[in-house]
Amino acid sequence: MLRRLIARPEFGPFILLALELFVFWAINPEFLSPLNIGNTLAFTVELGLIALAMTLLMTSGEFDLSVGSVFGFTPVLMWTFVNGGMVPMEIGFLIAIVVAALIGLVNGWFVTKLKIPSFLVTLGMLLVVRGTALFITNGFPQRTWNAGGHWLAEVLVGDFYVGPFRIYMSLFWFIAAVIILGYVLNRTRVGNWIQASGGNPGAARARGVNVDRTKVALFILCSTLAGFAGIISSVRTSAANPNSGMGYELEVIAMVVIGGTALTGGRGTIIGTVLGIFILRVMRNGIVLIGVPGLAYNIFIGAIILGMMALHSWLERRHHAGT
Amino acid sequence: MSEPLIRMDNVSKFYGRIQALENVSFTVREREIVGLLGDNGAGKSTLIKVLSGAVPLTSGSIYVRGKKVEMKSTTDAIAAGIETIYQDSALVTQLSIARNLFLGREPIKGPPFLNRMDTEMMNQVARDLLRQVGISKNIPPETPIGSLSGGERQAVAIARAMHFDSDLIILDEPTNNLGVAETQGVLRFVRGARDSGHSCIFIAHNIHHVFQVVDRIVVMRRGKVVADDIDPKKTTVEAVERVITGMTDEELAHALGPNTH
Repeated sequence: MLRRLIARPEFGPFILLALELFVFWAINPEFLSPLNIGNTLAFTVELGLIALAMTLLMTSGEFDLSVGSVFGFTPVLMWTFVNGGMVPMEIGFLIAIVVAALIGLVNGWFVTKLKIPSFLVTLGMLLVVRGTALFITNGFPQRTWNAGGHWLAEVLVGDFYVGPFRIYMSLFWFIAAVIILGYVLNRTRVGNWIQASGGNPGAARARGVNVDRTKVALFILCSTLAGFAGIISSVRTSAANPNSGMGYELEVIAMVVIGGTALTGGRGTIIGTVLGIFILRVMRNGIVLIGVPGLAYNIFIGAIILGMMALHSWLERRHHAGT
Repeated sequence: MSEPLIRMDNVSKFYGRIQALENVSFTVREREIVGLLGDNGAGKSTLIKVLSGAVPLTSGSIYVRGKKVEMKSTTDAIAAGIETIYQDSALVTQLSIARNLFLGREPIKGPPFLNRMDTEMMNQVARDLLRQVGISKNIPPETPIGSLSGGERQAVAIARAMHFDSDLIILDEPTNNLGVAETQGVLRFVRGARDSGHSCIFIAHNIHHVFQVVDRIVVMRRGKVVADDIDPKKTTVEAVERVITGMTDEELAHALGPNTH
């Protein structure tokens, strides 16, 4: 029983997260204060939404470097329409989400039909989307404070207090995404196809699985959730900045692989990704609270990635040799 | 006489300027196990690749129960009821045995929009099939393929072909890497497949395994079929070896060296 637990890819990240929480709390008990927990959660779940979608995409053997750009571009597009008085907020939201989905469709089409590696396709898309966001705004942020009180803003990111904890609605979107995507990956036929597409695409095709369609759908999911997270973030911070989301793609991919999803595809875990999300965000928050200069953050993140990769690779070899 | 299950008519295959198959005509009847033999480079693999849709033929035709079929991909072949089990079986190593067995045809439980796999049923069928194939160890159906031996993977692939009622199961070296008990299990399973209405093409380097199980032997040499109606009950392993190598008794004796006489 214990051995099976240890062999699970989520075990290492779980221990690491528990260790992090304990060390930061021991050094500075403020770390677990309601205010700090509320603040950390608010942004964590926005990035987390992208990481959850990326988990499925990476399980299918692909990844998407354009998510950070889509995170910045989608709210810019929405607020350009809404602030210009062209459409009401609901329609602006819908247009922006559809455009985000189309970006995913184009990514997927290039990767599956033109057989170009996703690294190159989404690197190109990263630049196109970021460039478009900067071009249409002249580099200036779009204001979003007139969203205050609108029902859509409340549904997306309204906040309320549970005891001393300030909770944003986005936490519920995140929890819903964890449940739905976890279910899809582990319990459904589509989940089986996603894993087979990443593990052995030739074998999956031979069994009649539409590998290309599966991957295109996941590219669309990834872009859509990145855009959705971007809009949530823009409403919460009262600004849609064309530069926001820069570098998120690598942080998101790091969250996914730290959690135990294979970079090469075929194996993915939503629970692991949730742990990976918190490991990185807690680290970012905790090292500042205990007085380590924020500029040293990347040293810790790099070390965590290397350590976790070593652990996952060791577990994998042990698993294959042991049975 | 009724149409055979599979009929290949004057099939030729060129790889660039190299001719791998030369006007091959080959049939498999209903409920028949055909042993396909030949030395390395004789054209067995190419014949199988053409029949399983892995490579296109250059000229000639393939008929399934008298109906001409185009094999453009392995999916076409599977749709025509032809399942091929290669040495490196087409399995996904990260997925469990049960998930591999049902890949692409997973049964659904509950409302269709929930798309939920019936894992209990999949695991139960997988357990039964593994027992039938004769895997001696008790392997749980949740085990990932990656932790199985080569022989066990073969057994899973055979079980899959059987379960989905392929008319023709092509077994390419199915007894390679298998232990004695597993080999006997696979041979028994192949016979069971015929008895339940399937046909098989059986390719193996070990001619003794072929003799134990097939109804008819076809021999290929240098891209051609040189014998297509050898009854294993009326001949010997040595005689078939002579056909495979294309040597006369004298030539064979000479090739084997002076001490053999």
